[in-house]
Amino acid sequence: MVSMHDLPPGKRVSGYFAQKAQVLKASIFLTRKLFFADPQWVIPNIIAPFVFTMVAFFLFQGQTSGSSFLLYLVLGSGLMGMWGTTIYASANSIGFDRWNGTMEATLAAPVPLSWIALGRVLFNTLQGVINAVFILVIGLAWFRVGFSLVNPAAFFLASVATFLSLSSFGLLLTTILLLSRKGGFITNSMEIPVYIATGTMFPIILLPIVYLPFAFMLAPTWGIEAIRTAALPGYVGLPTTYWEDMVIMAAETFAYLGLAFFLFKRVEAYAKRIGTLEEY
Amino acid sequence: MQVLEQKPTNAESREWAVWVKGLTREYTTRNFFGGVTRSTWALSGIDFQIAYGELFGLIGPNGAGKTTTIKILTTLLTPTGGDALILGLDVRKDLYEIRRRIGIVFGGERGLYNRVSAVDNLRYFSDLYGVDPGVARKRIPQLLEVVGLAGREKERVEKYSRGMKQRLHIAKALVHDPELIFLDEPTIGLDPAGARDIRNMVRDLKAQGKTILLTTHYMFEAEELCQRVGVISKGKIVALDTPSELKNMVRDISVIDLKTYGATMDYVEALRALPNVVRVVADLESEQQSIRIQTPLGADLLPKVVAALPEGAKIIDRTIKEPTLEDAYLRLVEE
Repeated sequence: MVSMHDLPPGKRVSGYFAQKAQVLKASIFLTRKLFFADPQWVIPNIIAPFVFTMVAFFLFQGQTSGSSFLLYLVLGSGLMGMWGTTIYASANSIGFDRWNGTMEATLAAPVPLSWIALGRVLFNTLQGVINAVFILVIGLAWFRVGFSLVNPAAFFLASVATFLSLSSFGLLLTTILLLSRKGGFITNSMEIPVYIATGTMFPIILLPIVYLPFAFMLAPTWGIEAIRTAALPGYVGLPTTYWEDMVIMAAETFAYLGLAFFLFKRVEAYAKRIGTLEEY
Repeated sequence: MQVLEQKPTNAESREWAVWVKGLTREYTTRNFFGGVTRSTWALSGIDFQIAYGELFGLIGPNGAGKTTTIKILTTLLTPTGGDALILGLDVRKDLYEIRRRIGIVFGGERGLYNRVSAVDNLRYFSDLYGVDPGVARKRIPQLLEVVGLAGREKERVEKYSRGMKQRLHIAKALVHDPELIFLDEPTIGLDPAGARDIRNMVRDLKAQGKTILLTTHYMFEAEELCQRVGVISKGKIVALDTPSELKNMVRDISVIDLKTYGATMDYVEALRALPNVVRVVADLESEQQSIRIQTPLGADLLPKVVAALPEGAKIIDRTIKEPTLEDAYLRLVEE
C-alpha cells in the first residue's frame, strides 16, 4: 500500500522552450481527448463538409465546365470547412472551460493562458485540415475532378502556411470570445462574412470595393490565393504573385499572434481584476 | 507566535508560509458607460499569518469572504488593498512562481474534465505544472493509489461519485508536489464515510509537513483538524486562535442537545423566550429533529424545556454537553 510519504518528489522540467512545449502538448492531447469523447464530432467533420461540397457543386453546376474550375470550387469548399471549424472551435476552446467549471483550475495553472489556448486552437485547426481533406476527397471522387497540381511543393507549403495563419486568427478570436459569454452569437455572425471576404467561393475582386480592406486584412484571403496559384493552371486572381501572397500572409499571421498574446495578457489581468471570468 | 505588523523582510518572510496584512477587496458593478452602480466590500482589511507546516482553518458563514480570501491568496483575484505574501512571494507580482508551489482543491464539482479519465486529468495538470514526464509516470499511479482511485483510473470522471471526484481533486492538487495546499470546503456534500476519508488525507498531508489552509462549514472538522482557526464574518477576521482557546470564549455556557419528534417553530420560539437561554439553533426539517440550546443553567433548564413542549411532540434524547467550537463560532458571527 502506497502512502503519501512514498510519493516521488515532483521534479520539474527546466528550460523555457521545454516548458512551453510541454504545455502545448498537454493542451493538444486534452483537446483531442475531449473532441473524440463527444459523439457530435461527426457533425463538423463528416456531415458539414459533405453539405458544403454538395451545395457548392450544385450551385455552380452547369454554369461552367472544366476540371480546373471544379478544383477551384473543391479548394474553396475545403477552406470553408477549415475556417468553419476554426471559428467554431475558437469560440469553444476556452469558453468550454467556462461552462465545464474548469476555468478556475485553468487560470490557476502556472502558465500563461495564451499557451493553453494555442494548443487547443492548433488541434482545432488541424481538425479543420482533416475536414478540408475530407471535402477534397468527396469532391474529387464524386465529381471526378482531376487533381493535377501546377506546383505540388508550393501547394503543400501554402497549405501549411494557411493552416498556421488560421490557427493564429483562431487564437486572436479566442481572446475576444473569452471576454464575452455570447461566443456562439459572435461565431455565427462571423462565419459567413469571412467565407465571402476571403474568396472561398468566388474571386474577392467581385466584391464591392468597401469590403476589400477587410478581405485584405484576413490572412486566409492570401492563403487561398497562394493555394490556388500553386494548384490551378493559368489561375488569375489578385494581381499578386505566389510569394507576395505568402509574405503578406506571414506578416498578417505574425501580427495576429502578437496581438493575440498581448490581448491574452490583458484578458488575464482583467480576469484577476473582476474575478468572474469563470462564471458561465 | 510572533506577529509582524509591517511587511516582512526577506529573512522574516521565511518564517511564514502565508502572511496577510490589511487585505481588502471591493467588487463593483458597472453600467454600460463604466460608471459604478454598486459596490460591495467582500474583505474589509484582514490580517493573519500561517506558519510553515501549520494546518490553519478559515471558517465563516456564506458570503463572509472565505472564497475571496482563497482566490486572492491563490493569485486568481487581485486585492483592492493590503498585502499578501505566499511562501515569501507577493500575490500581485510573483503569480507563476506562487502557482507552481501551491495546490488548490476546489470544493464541489468544479475543476475537473468530466469526459475524460482520472489519469487524463492528472497527466494534463501535471504537464501544465511542468512536472518532469518521467516523474509524472511514477507519481500519477501512486497518487491514484493513495487517494483510493486505483483500478478506476481509466473510467470517465463523469461516472465517479461525488466522493471519488473529491479524491481526484486532492490528487490533482498534489500532482506537482506543492508546499502549500488550499482546501476550499473539501468535504462539502460528501457522505460521512467520504468526508472521513478526505479528513484522513488532510491529516496525512499535515504529517508530511505540508502547510494547509482549510476552509469549511463544518465546525467539528475545523476543531478536529486545525491547529489554529480564523473566524471570518462580514469581511473581517473576528477571532483567531486555537480551537480550545476559541471554545474558552463560551465556557460560561452549557449546551443542551435535544433529539425531538413533532417539534414546531413555535416550540423553538418558546425556548428562545425562556430566561437564561443564550441561543437556540434548530433543525426541524431533517428526519431526526435536533435542537441545540446554549444556556448558563445547564441541566437546571431542562424542566422548563420539557414543560414548553407542545402536545404530541416528544423529546427522544437529551444530552448536556460542554460547548464546542460551533458554539463559539455562533457567538462570534452573531455578535
